Amino acid sequence: MRAEELKGHLDALLLAALEDGPRHGYAVMEALRQSTGGRLDLPTGTIYPALHRLETAGLIAGSWSVVAGRRRRLYQLTAAGAGALLGKRAAWRDFAAMMSAALEGRPCPDPA
Amino acid sequence: MPGPRLIAAYLTELSAELPGRIVDELADGLDETYRRYLRQGLDPEAAARAAVAEFGEPRVIVAAFTDASRSRRTARRLLAAGPLVGICWAVVLISARAWTWPIPAVARVLFGAALITVIGLLAAAALGRHYRQVCRAAAAACVGTAILDTTMACTVLAIAPALVWPAAVAVILSAGRSGFALRNVHPALTG
Repeated sequence: MRAEELKGHLDALLLAALEDGPRHGYAVMEALRQSTGGRLDLPTGTIYPALHRLETAGLIAGSWSVVAGRRRRLYQLTAAGAGALLGKRAAWRDFAAMMSAALEGRPCPDPA
Repeated sequence: MPGPRLIAAYLTELSAELPGRIVDELADGLDETYRRYLRQGLDPEAAARAAVAEFGEPRVIVAAFTDASRSRRTARRLLAAGPLVGICWAVVLISARAWTWPIPAVARVLFGAALITVIGLLAAAALGRHYRQVCRAAAAACVGTAILDTTMACTVLAIAPALVWPAAVAVILSAGRSGFALRNVHPALTG
């Protein structure tokens, strides 16, 4: 899946990648690769500005540590970020159900 | 070693546009990527080429950081608030027949020039592609906005204090905007 197809969904993917605990940028990208079976085709460098945007929005919190003499920035979900992830999951389920109904003729469940 | 030299050149290109703390973070991720390719059996030069290719073009990364910066967000918010505050002050000035006020022409021209400069700085911060220029433009625009708001409020209150309700609305809006602008000078400057 290419970057332009991910527009609007990248924030949810990044928040989900941080759900299990703090990660640095590279580990976030690795988690996304594993969770998508390697089908995510996104320049790794663009993950970092997206993380900064989420931090500015208060959805994740960053902190510095030193690993093997290198400065490393770790990110973790804030309470607001965990809430936003729940909301994005629910919105995605509704969207996916609607698209499946429209494209594959499946019955569309009533909105909760 | 040619591999790390390629990575160093890549980071140098990013350093020309981005602050050190961001480059440090990218360097850590790039090094991890480089080591992963080495573990997969690539020689150092091929591993460095693959790591740099995976990270993406520096101009794309710089543009993404610029878009995600607090400087850009602050500039866009100030631009969005501009028309509302401007209309309120226009109502005040027209109601008070401000063109009859004893204000020297030089002062009027200077205020107009400052207003145009601040709008230009905000536009540059909202649309610019160079991280550091966007940060500087946004910080300067924050200071300029606070000065313009304060100047306007003080002038109107000194010359036409009888204009109670329209001036009160405009002063409250300007005070709120000035406070927002001043709180965001340092965040905008650092991105």
